[in-house]
Order: sequence, then C-alpha cells, then structure tokens
Amino acid sequence: MKKVLLLAFFALAQQGIAQQYLTREATLSFDAGSPLEDIYAVSESASAVYDAASGKLGVQVLMTSFQFKRALMQEHFNENYVESEKFPKAQFTGTYEGGQAVGQLTIHGQTKDIAVPCELLEADGALLLQAEFPVTIEDFGVSIPGAVSDKIAKEAKVTVRATLKKR
Amino acid sequence: MKWGSILVGTLLSITAFGQEDDLFALMDIPETTQITYASFKGTKIINAQSNETPGEGVLQYIISHRFGSFSNDYFYNFLGLDNAQIRMQLDYGITDRLNAGIGRSSYLKVADGFVKYRLLRQKSGAESFPFSLTLYSSAFYRGARYTDGIDHYMSDRLSYHNQAIFARKFGDKLSLLAAPSAVHWNLVPGNSDPNTTFHLQMGGRYKLTNRLALTGEICPGSNLEYSDGSRFFTPFAVGVDLETGGHVFQFHLSNTNAMSDPLWMAQNPYNPWDGSLFLGFNISRVFTVKD
Repeated sequence: MKKVLLLAFFALAQQGIAQQYLTREATLSFDAGSPLEDIYAVSESASAVYDAASGKLGVQVLMTSFQFKRALMQEHFNENYVESEKFPKAQFTGTYEGGQAVGQLTIHGQTKDIAVPCELLEADGALLLQAEFPVTIEDFGVSIPGAVSDKIAKEAKVTVRATLKKR
Repeated sequence: MKWGSILVGTLLSITAFGQEDDLFALMDIPETTQITYASFKGTKIINAQSNETPGEGVLQYIISHRFGSFSNDYFYNFLGLDNAQIRMQLDYGITDRLNAGIGRSSYLKVADGFVKYRLLRQKSGAESFPFSLTLYSSAFYRGARYTDGIDHYMSDRLSYHNQAIFARKFGDKLSLLAAPSAVHWNLVPGNSDPNTTFHLQMGGRYKLTNRLALTGEICPGSNLEYSDGSRFFTPFAVGVDLETGGHVFQFHLSNTNAMSDPLWMAQNPYNPWDGSLFLGFNISRVFTVKD
C-alpha cells in the first residue's frame, strides 16, 4: 500500500513537472492570392500550446484577428467567406512527431485530418514552431462564387510562426 | 492493497484525461472586443443613408436611376426608361470613420456635398456596445432655373439635411436602423409653411444568403402639405441588395423619384395608392486608392 501511494505520488509529481509550452502571440498568415488579386492576411494573436511529455500540439486563431490590407476585403472575408460570426475560430489539435504535425484542422466549422511538415526547435528554453502548408479552401465548405473564382487561389498557403514559452 | 491500486489508477486516469482537456483549453483565446462589421452592404439602404462608410482610402462611385412611374404612360415611356432620373455620387473614406463626398441629381439639377462620421460603433465581446451611431450632414444647391419670374438670391437655392443614424446588427442576418433627421429649406412657398421639418427614417435589411439581402425603409415626416396646395406622401422603398466583390447592386421599388434628400424626404408628391411607384437601382463600385 505504501509503495503504491509512493508510486502514485511520483506519477502525479511527474505529470506536474511535465513541460508545457504556450504562446498567445503566434503569427499566422495565409496567402490565397492569384495573379489577379493580392489576398494576404496575417494574425499576430494566434495561440499555440505544446506538451513535451505527450507530444500534443495545438494552435488556435480568431478569424476576426486576421488583418488584411483592404478593409473591404477583410469585411468580405469575415462576412461572406469564413462566416466568422458563426465560426469564430480555426484550430489545429494533434501531436508533433518526427517533423510532422498530425491531427485535426478545423476551419469554418469543418474538421479534416491533416499531416503537415512542422519544425519544432528548442532555443534558450523556448520552443520555436514553424510550419507552412497548403489548405484547400473547398475542403472546408467555404463557397467561392463563380464571378470571383479566378481571383482567389484554390489552395491557401498557411504559415505559422510561434515562440512558445515554458509555463 | 487492491482497493488502493484501483483508487490510484482511477485518480491517475482522471488526471490524465484532465490534462488532455486542459492542454487544449490553455490555448483558448479569451474573448476580445470586436467591432461589428457590415450591418448593411452599402453606405445607403435605398434612398436613406446606412450607418456604413467606406474604409480609409476607399473611393466610392454610386450611380442611381429612378425610372418613370407605373401611372405615367408606362409603356409609352418604354417601361419608364424615357423619363428616368439619374444621380451620381463620388465619395472618399478619409479615415475609417470619416467620409465625405459630392453628388449631382438630375431632378431640379441639384448638386450636393456631404460629410458622414461614425461617432459610435457597435461592439461585441469583452467590451460590448449595443448600437452604432453615425452622423450625416449634407447641403444641396438647386441648379434649375426658377420659372416664377422672381430674381432669386443664391441662398434661396440651398437646402440642408442633418441626421443621427442609430443602427444595430442583430445576429448575422438582421440589421435595423432609425435616423431622426431634420431637413431645412431656405425657401418655402408661404410664410406659414415650415422651413424646417423633422423626419424619422427607419430601415432594415435581412440577409437571405451571404451575398443577397432584402431591404426596406420608410420615412414619416412632420409636414405633408404647403399653403400653395402641394400635398406630400410618406416615402418608402423595398429592395434587394446583391453584392459581388467591389460592387453592390441595389434594385428597388419606391414611391419617390427625386434622389436629393430634401426633395424625396420633405417634398415627395407621389401617392403610391394611385400607382405612383418607381423602379430604380443604385450601383456602387469601390476603388482602393490608398492601401
């Protein structure tokens, strides 16, 4: 009994000291431009979390935090395309293993399994997260009317850069 | 011993589950304050101003037509096209809140200038605010010659319209607006006729799809007649908004023909009950001139 308790104590203690990393200032951008139109937006208030013990990795961004160069494009993005009022967040939850982020990506209320290359480097006690991957817009039920379909890329190039700090 | 391990096992599994949930809960972004966007598609509902302005650095051109009424030899006038009224407007977003522009309407050759300012903006989230308030002020110059034989002062030709536009977006589909307004004419027909009249513009839109919306507006006023025998009718309009990229197309049916504010608000002679209804459209195009 004593041994079991001791074991339990250690197990709990270990969980307690397991390393978790977090940031709320991750940079997340996407480029869905075409030769006809420059469509680029960046959010600097995405959040990312990583648990070193389990390898679990999460990234989240508020759709309305994306800043576009043109106010009207930003309004249309939120109002007509990703419907931010209905689906305020996009997120990735999964694990980091061997240079890949594997898990579920949710955008516009629709979830898809993805496995994308991802870099996670330790530097001065912080973790640098870098990933760049394509997202097929149609896969997430974002409808693009025929009149503008030439102007918008079928695949948006998503870039994530974050410095996660120990918590 | 056995009970002990079961207990410990349970505890551990609870903490393990707890941790998984907690990890992703950690990244949950706290609610931020969000300015409500796109209460209306256009800077106008139909004839009435909406609370919206173009963003900073955006040049907007609006061309509007009102075709002849159904009661006025409709087919002889080629479905009203032959006696269409036209208005052109060019305006610019100086900041995200401040907008100024000029316009020219064919009926009585009225030229106008306006300033529009978003004083308060509806917000949701951490620091929410329930409505938006936009101020609008405009002046109008009648270019048409007077036929009464009197040598008129230039000031006789001027009229004004000022209003406070209260708007609220309810969810993502419905937006409503109420705008207490004052119209002032420097010249009215008789001494007993009011130079300043008060009006309440009320309007709304309901989104059918992301790019298509129904709109409607009505504008009761404080004066419906002049001493010279003119009778006026409460202006109203119903329409649809269609948005494609940088264009907003607005098609509508109204009982007004003039498009300068003092004329359609305070001196609208058209009685819808005897068929004085007009088809019309506004088309706006925006150009981002400064990124």
